[in-house]
Amino acid sequence: MNGYVQGDPLLCIGCRTCMIACVVAHEGKRIFEIDADGYDFHPKLKVIKTWSVSVPVQCKHCENPACQSVCRSEAISRVNGAVIVDREKCIGCKSCAQACPFGAIQMVPLGFETNPDGSRKSVANKCDLCQGLDDGPACQKVCPTAALYFVEQDDIRTILANKRTATVISCLAQ
Amino acid sequence: MTTKQIVSTCVYCGAGCQILFTVDTEANRILEATGSEGHSNDGTLCLKGRYGWDFLNDPQILTKRLTSPLLRKNGRQSDLTPVSWDEAVNFVSQRLTDIKKTHGPDSILCTGSARGPGNEANYVMQKFVRACLGTNNVDHCARICHAASVAGLLVSLGSGAMSLSVPEIEEAEVIFNIGYNGPDSHPIVARRIVRARQKGAYIICADPRRTETARIAHKHLQLKGGSNLALANSLAHVIIAENLGDQAFIKDHTKGFDELKKLVQKYTPEYAARITGLNPDEIRATARIYAASKHSVILWGMGVCQFSQGVEVVKALANLGLLTGNFGRRATGVGPVRGQNNVQGACDMGALPNYYPGYQSVTDPAARAKFEAAWGVPLPDKVGLTLTRVPEFVLHPPDKSKQIRAYWIFGEDPAQSDAYLAEMRETLEKLELVIVQDIYMNKTAQYADVILPSTSWGEHDGVYSACDRAFQRIRKLIEPPAGVLTDWEIISRVSTAMGYPMKYRNTEEIWNELINLCPSFKGATYEKLEKLGHIQWPCRSADLSDVGTPFLHRDGNFATKDGKGVFSCAEWQPPVEVENAEYPLTLSTVREVGHYSVRTMTGNCRTLRNLEDEPGWVQMNPKLCNQLGVYHGQLVKISSKRGWCITRCLPTDRVKPDAVYMTYQWWIGACNELTIGSLDPISNTPEYKYCACRVEKIDNQAWAEKYVQNEYQTIRRNMAVTFDRKGGGKAA
Repeated sequence: MNGYVQGDPLLCIGCRTCMIACVVAHEGKRIFEIDADGYDFHPKLKVIKTWSVSVPVQCKHCENPACQSVCRSEAISRVNGAVIVDREKCIGCKSCAQACPFGAIQMVPLGFETNPDGSRKSVANKCDLCQGLDDGPACQKVCPTAALYFVEQDDIRTILANKRTATVISCLAQ
Repeated sequence: MTTKQIVSTCVYCGAGCQILFTVDTEANRILEATGSEGHSNDGTLCLKGRYGWDFLNDPQILTKRLTSPLLRKNGRQSDLTPVSWDEAVNFVSQRLTDIKKTHGPDSILCTGSARGPGNEANYVMQKFVRACLGTNNVDHCARICHAASVAGLLVSLGSGAMSLSVPEIEEAEVIFNIGYNGPDSHPIVARRIVRARQKGAYIICADPRRTETARIAHKHLQLKGGSNLALANSLAHVIIAENLGDQAFIKDHTKGFDELKKLVQKYTPEYAARITGLNPDEIRATARIYAASKHSVILWGMGVCQFSQGVEVVKALANLGLLTGNFGRRATGVGPVRGQNNVQGACDMGALPNYYPGYQSVTDPAARAKFEAAWGVPLPDKVGLTLTRVPEFVLHPPDKSKQIRAYWIFGEDPAQSDAYLAEMRETLEKLELVIVQDIYMNKTAQYADVILPSTSWGEHDGVYSACDRAFQRIRKLIEPPAGVLTDWEIISRVSTAMGYPMKYRNTEEIWNELINLCPSFKGATYEKLEKLGHIQWPCRSADLSDVGTPFLHRDGNFATKDGKGVFSCAEWQPPVEVENAEYPLTLSTVREVGHYSVRTMTGNCRTLRNLEDEPGWVQMNPKLCNQLGVYHGQLVKISSKRGWCITRCLPTDRVKPDAVYMTYQWWIGACNELTIGSLDPISNTPEYKYCACRVEKIDNQAWAEKYVQNEYQTIRRNMAVTFDRKGGGKAA
């Protein structure tokens, strides 16, 4: 099973440290040295705030990803337990962004590549679970309230087991 | 590459987080910041702590770093030109000497700085003002934030600081947040509230907005803005009427109960409900929950202090703790959580018109005699002027002899941070001498006759005081740019040139001088700070066994003269400027978590700028947006009787339809163009949290976008930014 990062709205304080960590993880620490407009700032997760919830939304790394099945350029694949976009192959058709049931894919200009008319080339941008980074997703590491956690097979089993127990208890209570 | 690792205290907010910096010593650059195990942060950091240091690389996003003294050689209309330190110091000392000679020492006012400089520089500044200039006209930005807490709590409890420590918040059973939104102002303090909740604490939040604190609270009292005192008095009413108080504590440790009882008699929940808009039963329930625990904590921030009745609300909140005996043990008490990194320190150091360092009154003959002996000169016995009254004492002085003529602004930017900016600009124009001492060009520097460039946090040593009275070291991480001096060196040079020699070799020498004059700081030596990491005052003995005081008022022995807590109360009054036909909405100013103070530092940090940039936002209820026909991200014009600005519309159901909210960091969407200068009569804190305003749709959005872009470029030009970036004016 693919794991994914999930936020707990009762712990999240909406500070968005995770969003910066995401960019720093993908762009590298060089961004603090170079021209202040010389890098991309496109976090792959976004903190959403409603009346009752603040929490980042990011890819759930689906087992049968809708984004992958609609992609016409084979730019989306499953690698090492993550659904990732190959920016080179992406043709910017936006189908994946529309297909994702969670709104976890954004179209953003990346890498300062331009189209023939001079406009920035947009590609699909989504969480890749920090592929290639040593100790797991950067967002999770920096969260000051430990609101982000990595959900794995065992966690799903526990969640389901707890729900079943709750079901039994609520039935008995009636 | 040679690297070293250094621990220092964060320069943003009063939480006092400890950060481990990795520094490339050859390139003189910081490479990385990670959390260190400080007493308040426990290894965690927020976005400002973790990513808020690259302003030291001078990326010139918003403003340019100052690296040479600048002087207008031919009067106000002439350009600022680089001069030598000798010329700048001569100019400042000569002009100050002249003004002092002609108009007297009270015609000069200097500020302390609650930001980067540190405690030692604030001590030197207030010593210069008192001993060299001969006036008590020294104040700093605590005046526009927690002055109400200091003034109110000194009356009620005898000490104006947080009575508990940040880690203790986590052990509380009930946390009553009022006018306090930690997640935006102090994320690492908010972490303790979140953890307390996880451990079973009951969280209450009284706030007109659905803040992050309100969202995670068990009970959100969404009261009407400006009605805090009615709520606090009503809570006291319920505690007394339902006999929920701690009678033994009231009898043994307090005085003034009968007066309190009489005054709050009429504040029945039903009566308070009419003022606050709350359900009377919610008020009752809150009082019962609060009174039910001996580990109830009240936390407040600007939502209490930045009102014309700030001091009275602070006292009314202290009343609740006194009624229920919620003082004098771990994890109980009151927490006025100080905003800026060293605003507690600037107060501790006596950068206040009524106190010497260590809260020793300038009107107390014994204290005065002690400082006169130490500093070797007679000292003035009259309380000085507060900085929020500078506009009045420049533009309309009560009599000509009391006019303020010279203003030395040290690490502050009143032309951005103070209420009613049009009046502040007029004030700066009319002043005979404006001295700005800072690390960056800022809005106030535009009006300066002379600019004195100083070292930044990260480039000098010193001590900060965190919000919970914790002294912690700041350490030099990198070498400063050539041409700047430390703040204390600049002030010492001017003082010496004016005939009052001050010579220090380092900050430790200054620190030793001041702790020896302050009994409650005496034990907090550099050597002990090095060993212990942090020391919370009072710390009276240099002996290693005195590790400081995590919580105050042990066993109900308050810091007042007779050791008793004092009930003190007042009637609720409405805010000064209420909604009307022309300005039907209320404006309150709030915080942006990723930016700090007037934004000269965080506005020059790349990723923080990426997250939020000019012209900022106005938070509006979707109903109001529909009514005006404006949508997310559109530019709107917002105005009050005093001014206007343009900013972006942020629809959110977290605010009520009749109130809008802006953050004060933005230079284009500058909400202080609108705010009112009316002051709390005791603390002199302006009513930033309430004025009447109007929001208008801008039909020509293309024009408005162009306007914002042009303004951004103009600001950057005025801030002496030298190279042209592609960006600027583009909102995140």
